[in-house]
Amino acid sequence: MRISKRRALAIVAAPAALALALAGCAGGGDQPSGGEKYDKLILGMTADLTGGWDIVDQPAYQAWGIEAVYQTLCRILPGGEYTPDAAESWEVSDDNRSFTAHLREGVEYSDGTPVDAASVEASFDVLKETASDRYGEITYDSPDDQTITITWPEAQPLLLDRVCTAKLASSDFLASADRDTQPVGSGPYTYDIDASTQGSIYQLVKNPDYWNADAYPYKTLELRVLADETASLNALKTGQIDGTVISSTVYDEAEKSGLEITGVQSGMLMIHLTDRLGEVIPALGDVRVRQAMNMIIDKQAVVDQLWDGHATPIWQPFQLNGQAILDIEDPYPYDEEKAKELMAEAGYEDGFTFTVPTMEGQPWTRLLPYLTEQLAKLNITIEQKALSGPDAIAELLSGDFPVPVWQVGAPTSVEDISIHVLDTGFWNVLHQPNETVTGLWDQIVTGDDDQRLAAQQEINQYVIDNAWFVPILSPYNYYAYDGDKVTIDEVTDPYGGHPTLIDFQ
Amino acid sequence: MLLYIVKHLARAVGVFLTVTFATFVVMYGNGAGVARATLGMNASAQDVQRRMADLGLDRPLFVQYFDWLGGLFTGDLGRSYYTGQSVAGALGVRVPVTMSLIIVTLVLTVIISVFLGVAAAYYRGWVDRTVQVVAGLGAAIPSFIVAVVLVLVFAVNNPILPATGYVRPTDSVSGWLASITLPVISILIGTLGAAQIRGSVIDVLSRDFVRTLRARGISERAVVFRHVLRSASGPGIIAFGLLVVAMFGGTIFVEQVFALPGMGQLLNQSAQAGDVPMVMGCVLVTTIVVLVVNLIADLSNALLNPKARTR
Repeated sequence: MRISKRRALAIVAAPAALALALAGCAGGGDQPSGGEKYDKLILGMTADLTGGWDIVDQPAYQAWGIEAVYQTLCRILPGGEYTPDAAESWEVSDDNRSFTAHLREGVEYSDGTPVDAASVEASFDVLKETASDRYGEITYDSPDDQTITITWPEAQPLLLDRVCTAKLASSDFLASADRDTQPVGSGPYTYDIDASTQGSIYQLVKNPDYWNADAYPYKTLELRVLADETASLNALKTGQIDGTVISSTVYDEAEKSGLEITGVQSGMLMIHLTDRLGEVIPALGDVRVRQAMNMIIDKQAVVDQLWDGHATPIWQPFQLNGQAILDIEDPYPYDEEKAKELMAEAGYEDGFTFTVPTMEGQPWTRLLPYLTEQLAKLNITIEQKALSGPDAIAELLSGDFPVPVWQVGAPTSVEDISIHVLDTGFWNVLHQPNETVTGLWDQIVTGDDDQRLAAQQEINQYVIDNAWFVPILSPYNYYAYDGDKVTIDEVTDPYGGHPTLIDFQ
Repeated sequence: MLLYIVKHLARAVGVFLTVTFATFVVMYGNGAGVARATLGMNASAQDVQRRMADLGLDRPLFVQYFDWLGGLFTGDLGRSYYTGQSVAGALGVRVPVTMSLIIVTLVLTVIISVFLGVAAAYYRGWVDRTVQVVAGLGAAIPSFIVAVVLVLVFAVNNPILPATGYVRPTDSVSGWLASITLPVISILIGTLGAAQIRGSVIDVLSRDFVRTLRARGISERAVVFRHVLRSASGPGIIAFGLLVVAMFGGTIFVEQVFALPGMGQLLNQSAQAGDVPMVMGCVLVTTIVVLVVNLIADLSNALLNPKARTR
C-alpha cells in the first residue's frame, strides 16, 4: 500500500471538493429569485420580538412586525406630529384628560370581528394591567360602537403619546391563550404562522382591507432575525435581505459594498448626574463640580475620533428637533484649566470616585476609556460594573449607580422631561425632588400651547444652568438597504431609530 | 453485558438530573428581572409582581424545578417567558437544524479522521507531519473565525453559497445542502480526530499479531482496515463521543454567524435573556443527545473490547 504525493493531495482535498460539489448543485440556496419589485420585502432584525406578538407596551425599536399586524388609534410622527390610523378623527378635551376617537366604519380584524369601541376598550384593558403606572386608572365611555372616549383622572401632558402607542387587537384574541403567538390585528399585514419560524423568520401577508393599504406596496413581508451584525450585513450584501440597521462601525464597509444608507440623528448620549443633592456622592451636590465635569469632555474630539464623525456634539439634554431646544452656544466648552479651577473652588480638587454600570453590546461603552482618562485629570475615578442578564435593567435603574452613562431620547421633549428630568422619571435614578422643575411641569400639564412650550424651554435652561447632565453627542442611526429593491425617501420613526414599515416604498 | 448497560443507564439518569438541576439553580432568581424585561423599563413594581405571579416565577426553586421535571412526563416543557412560544414547539423546529449540522459533521469527521489517521500512522514521514499540522491548525483556530473567513470567500466575494439562513431538506435538498455546507466545514475543521486515530493505529501496528498476519501473506489493505483498525477503534470511538459535545459548543457560534435558526442560536439568545423554559429545553435535548452518544460509544467499545466491560 504505497501513496504518492499526488494521491495524498487528492485525499486531503477531498472534503473541499465535496463542499464545492454541494455548492455546485445548490445554486444559491434560498436567495431571492428576483421577480416583481413589490413581491416581497425582506428585512433583517438584529433582535427578536421582545414580547412576542402580545400588545403589551413593547420597545418600538425594530418593531416592524408589531407595526405590520396591529393598528393604533393614531400614529406618532417625528417632531410631535400625529396622524390618523384606526381613528378617522379625534378630539382631546380642554383639560387634557380625555381622548375621544371616532373609529373608521367597516374595519375588521383578521378574525372577522369589527374594530369597534368594545375591542378598543379590551385592548386598553391589557395596558391597564401591564402598564398600570400610565393606564391603570383610565375609564371609558362609548356612546356608540364607533366612538369611544378614554379618560384619565388627571391631566395628561403625554395623552396623545399614550393613546397612539396602544395597539388594537380583537377582543376574542385578547381573551385567548395564544395572545403572544398568534396575533389577530387589523394592520397592513397579517401574520402567516404556518410559514414562519418563531424567533427566526416571520412571514406576513398584505391585508388588502387595511384602510391605507396603498401605502404598503409589498405583497408579503418577511422579517429575519439576524442577531449578529456581520451575518446581517453579509445577508444584505448577498441579496438575502433588503435592509437592516447597521452601526457606524460598519458604515464604510456598507458604503463600499454599494448599499444605500439612510441616517437619522436621534438620541442623546449623556452622563446623568442624578445625585444633584450630593446624598450619595457629596461632590455632585456642588454645581461647580458638575460644570467642571462638562468642561473636561471635548465633545468634538469624541465625535471625530471615537464616532468617526457619525454624530453631532450636543450641550442640551433634549432631542435636537424637540420643542425644548434653545438657540444657544455650548455653555461649557472644553476647557481643562477652567474645569480644574471649578473643582478647586468647590473644594474637591482631590476628586472622588463613582461607578458606571455597563452592559454588553451598548455602543457608548467605547467612550469609557476616554471618560476615564479625562475625568482622571480632575482626580475623578471611574470604576465599572458590568451588568448582564434579565436583572440588568432593574439594577441599572435601581439607584445603586447615581451616575449612569446612557443614551436616551423620546419622540417629544415633554416625554424626555418625564423620563430623565422629573423626579418620577425612571432615568432620574435617584428621584431627587426639585421644586423648580415640578412647578414648570405643572405648567406643561395645565397650560396652553404657548405656556407648554415656554415651560419646556425653561426646564431645559434650568437643567443646563445647573449641569444636571453631561450631554456629549447625538449619534446617527444608520439603516442600510438595497437601493435597487427599496426606496426610502423619509424616515417617520418618531424615535429616529430606523425607517418604519410605511417608509419602505 | 446486561449489568454493564444497566449501570451505564443509571449513571446517565444521575448525570441528567444533576445537569438539569444545576442549570435551573444557575438560572433561578431572576424573576423580577425577567418580568421587568417583558414589561419595559418603566414598569411599576406592582406590574412586575403581577407578571412574576403570571409566569410562576414567585414560587420556590424546588417547586419550579419539580414542576418542570413533571412536565417532561406529559410533554409540556413550558412556554417562553418572552414570546409565549411553547418550548416543545420551538425545539421541534430548531433541533432538526442543529442535528443536521452535527450529524453531517460527525459522519464527515469520522470518515476523514479515520482516513487521515490511518494514513499518518501507516506512512509516517511527510504524510504524518502534514496530517498532524492540519489537525493541529484545525484544533487551534476557533470555528467562528473559520466561519467568518468562509462566508467572506464563498458567499460575499464569490457568491457560490448562501451567507446566512437555513433551507429545510423537505423544501429543497440542494438548498439544504447549500445552506449547511459552510457551517459544517466551519465545525468540521476544529473537530478532526485524526490524532487519536493515528496514535491508536501506530500502537496496534507495532503489536505481534500484525507481524503474524503479514507473515501469513494477508494483504496490507486487509491487515490495516480489517484487523488494525478494529483493534485501534476503541480510543477513537470514545474520542468521537467527546467530539459530539464539542460540536454542540461549535454550533452556538456557527449558528450565530450563519444566522441558522438552530438550537445553539436559541440557547444563546435565551440564556442571555434569562428565558429559563427555553434554556431548560435546550439543555434537556443537549444532555440527552450527549448521554445517548456516550452510551453508544461505551457500548460499542465494550463490544469491540471485552476488557472495557470489566471497568
